[in-house]
Amino acid sequence: MNTPIGILATAYYLPPTRKAIADVFRDEEIPAERLAANVDFQRDIGIEAIHVADQELPSGVGLKAAQQAVEEAGLDPREIDLILDFTSIPEDYPAPTWSAAGLVQRELGATKALATAVNTGGCASYHVALKAACALLSANDHLNVALLFSGDKTPALNHTYYPITVTCDGGSAVILKKNHSRRVILAVEVATVGQLHDVWYIPGFSQHQPGQPADERLLYMTSDIQRFNENVIPINFFMFRKVMKAAMKRAGLKARDIDYYIYPTFSTWDQKGFCQSLLIAPEKVYTAGLRRHGHLQENDMVMNYVDAANEGYIREGHVVMVTTNGAGFTWGAALIRH
Amino acid sequence: MTGIIAAACHFPGRTQSVEGIFHAEGAAYGPQVAARLGIELVPVCAGETASALALAAAQKALAQAGLDAEAIDVIIDYSILPQEYLVPAWSMSNKLQHELNATNAFTMGFSGGDATNFLISLQCATSLIQSNEEINTVLLLAADVALPANRLLNPDYPLTVLGDGASAVVVQRNAGRYRILDTELLSDGRFQGVCYVPGGAIAHPDRPDLYRLQLNKLLYDQAPKAEALPPLIDKMLERAGLPWSAITYFLYPNISADDQASFEQTCGHRNWPGQANGLIRHGHVQGTDLVLNFLSALASDAWREGDVICLCSHGMGFMAGAALIQV
Repeated sequence: MNTPIGILATAYYLPPTRKAIADVFRDEEIPAERLAANVDFQRDIGIEAIHVADQELPSGVGLKAAQQAVEEAGLDPREIDLILDFTSIPEDYPAPTWSAAGLVQRELGATKALATAVNTGGCASYHVALKAACALLSANDHLNVALLFSGDKTPALNHTYYPITVTCDGGSAVILKKNHSRRVILAVEVATVGQLHDVWYIPGFSQHQPGQPADERLLYMTSDIQRFNENVIPINFFMFRKVMKAAMKRAGLKARDIDYYIYPTFSTWDQKGFCQSLLIAPEKVYTAGLRRHGHLQENDMVMNYVDAANEGYIREGHVVMVTTNGAGFTWGAALIRH
Repeated sequence: MTGIIAAACHFPGRTQSVEGIFHAEGAAYGPQVAARLGIELVPVCAGETASALALAAAQKALAQAGLDAEAIDVIIDYSILPQEYLVPAWSMSNKLQHELNATNAFTMGFSGGDATNFLISLQCATSLIQSNEEINTVLLLAADVALPANRLLNPDYPLTVLGDGASAVVVQRNAGRYRILDTELLSDGRFQGVCYVPGGAIAHPDRPDLYRLQLNKLLYDQAPKAEALPPLIDKMLERAGLPWSAITYFLYPNISADDQASFEQTCGHRNWPGQANGLIRHGHVQGTDLVLNFLSALASDAWREGDVICLCSHGMGFMAGAALIQV
């Protein structure tokens, strides 16, 4: 980064209602068969319960996280120059026509901000937003403070992205400040393989056929598992390595310099695969959130960072690799000196 | 300095008269409405997908720039209307990255703000180039296809008629001409719901009847529109050390004749005159309006080297933006 940009505050919000994973599987009629010889989806997923938003809308959970972050930062909302919504699944109303950014701007009273949303990256949308925000802050003298937020709520019976993970509702927020010397963002790398744009997607009403019921199922995550297995899995950890190496090169660091890793909470077997494929010691990867809440889409990156810091895994001066993949398909890696 | 090295639009071959659209959508049409809108016909798709239009526009722009797709470092999507699958879980930019074979590019897209979404993308493109030495070339693209039977925005008192189309712009470091001097943007959260599609996402997941672009006319009337732009332009001019008189022409979206006239007064009667033709024959195609009008001015050979032009949009009152470009 040309100009040092640091993280002033981070926060997340989980709705209070919890749903046991067994109830999720029952209600969503998830198959009980094994995925492979040594993996049983229901038994091995490693998630005990998820949070569900009930009547709250995605904008509501995102707003609560944003309000917490602003409070933690001790910031007057009028100091915010840029608001970037990085939600990666459908919000209250269809994008790209609408995003929750304007609503959050209004509710916070961030009257001097530009409020918009990045709409690519899938679960790596946090990295796309970081890339955009860092560029905008670095290149524009009049932009100094950015609020990044996200709010996710899946349809009530579509929490299971079989056979990958089970998703949780909630929101997160991060405040970036130019020339802030703590939690400095050293590098952000993003790579896209567009050939995989329709391996995981949500059809939406554009795919509604006349005569068919137009109901909530059009908002369910849809996957082409054969293509996922044949085209995503073989390159997945190669792409992780690619973006992490690029981030380290940009920051002038080696793998041995990385103190800790923030990685998504998809499943136990995915976390194990990450460590084994990339030769990373499991104790250097934050995994505890998986059991408590499952996968919170792009919010995993913020929430796991917050929890890892609060639980003492990340300490002052640590170099942290924040990395994920996301539907679309995108891989992201960000290096932060805590 | 970073600048625009190529731009292109692509529209479907079929057109539909505005009178026919009013009839089809059950709205009253007459001389007063016709004069207020200033739109005679709009391009309409007959089965073409938005991404097919965007691909054609991007290919034209890349050919004009003399670039292989592999040279693109970033693709930014500034589309506004709902796409083939539901955004943000899906993005056209990823499909286009594949179809163009832009293997070295990562993708990005922005939401909201009507035509101003193009200006956000322009600002982000220049910022990415300025702050990342390995990023040199950014392809901006958009395609907007109106939802079925939803070309009139606010049928009770139509404010515009939506055409279908796509555009693409190549922005590059060290461009010789059309240098992007500055951009300035500001949103007003009080007006965030001015123009949106109520159905089809989490708030109304089972209401196909609400899957239509809708204008909150009361909010729209309250929102600052043309008058929101001079303060932004002032800031840019101050930073550039230029007076208002330095701006040769203003380029503005094709929402309606009334809207363009309102801005004409605000900007001191220096609207690019050719944009009336864009309005008449295309209607409002979101961010593509600004690219279309930019191209029409280029084709007219009206600009001289060193001229400063200002692209601006009020984003339906929610998001105002402006950019200064030096020819």
